[in-house]
Amino acid sequence: MLSIEDLSVVIRRPGREVAALSDVSLRVGRGEVVGLVGESGGGKSMVARSIVGLLPGGSHATGAVLFEGDDVLRMDPAALQRHRGHGAAICFQNPRGALSPTRTVGRQLADRLVTHQRLTEEEARQAAEEQFAAVGIRSPRRRLAAYPHELSGGMAQRVMISLATGCAPGLLIADEPTTGLDVTLTREILRQFRHAADTDGRGVLLISHDLASVADVCDRVVVLYAGTVVESGPAARVLGRPAHPYTRALLRSVPDVDGRAVVATPGAMPLLKAAPHDCPFARRCAHATAECVAERPPVSRVPGAADDWTLACFHPRTDELASEEPAEAPERATAAERTVLEVDDAHVVYRSRFGKGGHAALRGVSLRVAAGETLGVVGESGCGKSTLAKLLLGLVPAARGDVRVAGSRMSDLRGRELRRLRTRVQMVFQDPIGSLSPRRTVGDAIAEPLRALGLPAARRAERVDAVVDRLELDRSMLTRYPHELSGGQAQRVCIARALAGEPELLVFDEPTSALDVTVQAQILEVIADVVRDPTRGSVFISHDLATVRGFADRVIVLYLGRIVEEGPVEEVFGNPRHPYTRALLSSAPSLGSGFSGPKVTLTEDLDDTGADAPGCPLAARCPFAADRCRTEEQELRPHGRAQAACWRVPEIPDLLKGSDIRV
Amino acid sequence: MSETVVVDGARAGRFAKVLIVTGSVILAVVALAAILAPLLTGWGPTEIDPLGTLVPPGPGHPLGTDANGMDVWSRLLHAGRLDLGIAVAGVAVAVVAGTTLGLVAGYLGGWVDDVLMRVVDVFQAFPTFILALAVAALVGNGTGNLIAVIAAVNAPAYARLVRAEVRTVRESAFVAASVTSGASTLGVLWRHVLPNSLTPVRVIAPLNAGWAMLTLAGLSFLGLGVTVPAAEWGAMISLGSPDVVAGRWWTSVPPGLVLLICVLGFSLLGEGLQERAEAKRR
Repeated sequence: MLSIEDLSVVIRRPGREVAALSDVSLRVGRGEVVGLVGESGGGKSMVARSIVGLLPGGSHATGAVLFEGDDVLRMDPAALQRHRGHGAAICFQNPRGALSPTRTVGRQLADRLVTHQRLTEEEARQAAEEQFAAVGIRSPRRRLAAYPHELSGGMAQRVMISLATGCAPGLLIADEPTTGLDVTLTREILRQFRHAADTDGRGVLLISHDLASVADVCDRVVVLYAGTVVESGPAARVLGRPAHPYTRALLRSVPDVDGRAVVATPGAMPLLKAAPHDCPFARRCAHATAECVAERPPVSRVPGAADDWTLACFHPRTDELASEEPAEAPERATAAERTVLEVDDAHVVYRSRFGKGGHAALRGVSLRVAAGETLGVVGESGCGKSTLAKLLLGLVPAARGDVRVAGSRMSDLRGRELRRLRTRVQMVFQDPIGSLSPRRTVGDAIAEPLRALGLPAARRAERVDAVVDRLELDRSMLTRYPHELSGGQAQRVCIARALAGEPELLVFDEPTSALDVTVQAQILEVIADVVRDPTRGSVFISHDLATVRGFADRVIVLYLGRIVEEGPVEEVFGNPRHPYTRALLSSAPSLGSGFSGPKVTLTEDLDDTGADAPGCPLAARCPFAADRCRTEEQELRPHGRAQAACWRVPEIPDLLKGSDIRV
Repeated sequence: MSETVVVDGARAGRFAKVLIVTGSVILAVVALAAILAPLLTGWGPTEIDPLGTLVPPGPGHPLGTDANGMDVWSRLLHAGRLDLGIAVAGVAVAVVAGTTLGLVAGYLGGWVDDVLMRVVDVFQAFPTFILALAVAALVGNGTGNLIAVIAAVNAPAYARLVRAEVRTVRESAFVAASVTSGASTLGVLWRHVLPNSLTPVRVIAPLNAGWAMLTLAGLSFLGLGVTVPAAEWGAMISLGSPDVVAGRWWTSVPPGLVLLICVLGFSLLGEGLQERAEAKRR
């Protein structure tokens, strides 16, 4: 249906030239889901834009984008308009940004149906309701009247899908449809795309950097690197036993819930000014030879493989992707058992600005971190992870309860004393570039905590140099500004800043979720090295369970501001007690064996309706919920080496037996 | 099949440069002429030619003389010192005062914000020129006072602008990072919030300087500006306006034109800076 042939796009703008795509060819057939994977800057979005004729200004394109025989690049405006409505439709990455905030979602869908399908208002309303139901929106009639801000992220993405599929397009393009969604939702949303291909015979082009998620739903996978197709073929083969070194590097960079080791590949993707004359991956490739830098490898069939598995490499790998055993936990000197952080029954309430009431983000959290120990914090978004980070850093006050860092309470201190204590806890933020002031140099940023400690300029420079060397950053970087850095470099700088003042406690708040896969692996290596230091404790917050498994000693699982399970990492991941933990693990995407125990799926998306009700907050979503759950507050009770807040823990193994519970 | 399809677009940046250079050149020429005025003219700005009033342009007086027998060319050039000087100084004071207010109000929030912003509201409730008239009438004329007037009428806009910017910047991760690194409030404000809140100010200030010149000329036209014999474009236009009817254009048209060119220069500069800021954001 869609056939892209030798598409090259060069974007020429005054002062810069970018070869966004170089000789890209790919096909999507009816009823087929094709995954387009690779790191950002690889040209994934450019492919999507070319299919709907939305190339950015200054683009020079050669080749052809054939959609049912017509070349999209050379369509006249009227044909293009028809093509965009009926031929191909896009689901955008950020559904809330792509929905108009001042119109109800039902109105937006109905409008499209009226324009493109020439339905009457009444028919359109009917059809819209059916569409909503089809993408799994509960009580669709009520949701038609909702505005985008009233919807949760998952719901908004569903609306977006219904908008895209509403006019029955032949091809559905999904540009990173699940970025920013929780694991439980990701799975559900991706299933919608599979459904669209299976039942309606649409072609689906699924663009993603998340290999593990797409692995499940795609028929074929196309891997892009620096604007070139490096490998393409059946999903099971390409992701199971990749032949191109880049695909292999990508796969090995992804942490997995089964705990296998992450192998980082050094370097970063080059930004090409013109179509490459060599293998763009050669510089980072361990198998590169002189041939690889002299000539661009042609696209060829993988030796001895099925007909549509192709790659562009002189030295295809045929061996098994080394599936090493889970890395041995490094020995730690935790003999000192010095507590660096103690949180006791902390509650945080965000008051609403007008009137009374407010929103309780944390409801009685207690935890303890010793020097040399790493505590992982996991949970879906909205469960209070970020609030916990802010609480530890003293950015929000505790409404009740106690937070002690290195034995002192932040709320007791003022002025200079408080500022000194603050340098004892340092945070590494999610968005590395955003957490560096755009108008301050890198050197200045790293010296920030040292300034607060009152060190003279010469001593500051010494310490900055030392920490920069430790993180293997180039010293010439000190005079640069954040916008000149890549994401990976910026995150190293942020870690350097956090380390500069030699804090007792490091808080990592989703430190790799804004980074590309191979860069993520590099940063995880750096962090793994940093947290091994026996003099300080670390808290590692992430929605990605696999990442946490990599180097946490203990894990707490948060749900709606409460700790539902707590324990050593192997215990929690290997034998989850609480149904919520089990559900999180069940839905975690995995390229390897994944979570091995019986799986559990929660009903409904996360919303905080259950938060204020008496009883267990999970009761509304839990497949094991009984009457007692809805009336009785659950407290953490020890089960083996872990603790869980669920009275049914002893019964759950029996409940799980026989039936793999799925709703 | 292999011909290239080109998507138009991306004039980005170039145009901004043209605007900035043109605006700057215009202003530089006027400023230079004003500074070098004594070398470029044969008469002093308030020197009276005993031989005649309202002499038409010709040798000796390139732009003739006005009703008092003063050389229009000389007054025209010398006036630039006052006009440009007061406008730029006034706007500079407005920027500093307004930014400080906006920074404090935006960062501290709460009742400080409420009080400061209500004061700003009161200032902004009056039409600019009426407010300028009132303040000028209150403090009286004189260079220093005029700078104060210009500053007073313009500062509230900067306070509002910077406050809005600060309210976004203070929520950013780098401010949180700095606070948690133990930086003092003043340190955070000075080193992180301020430099990242000034972009709109940089764009608005030149435009504002143009308007300030108009305000100043307006005040002088009404007799509330500079004291009379001093050379100032607004005062010159006011003095020469009766002559225009009688066909003696040279006393009021030249200052009017120069004023127009200056305001144009400021506008082009401001416009260019805005284009550049937008091009960068893309």
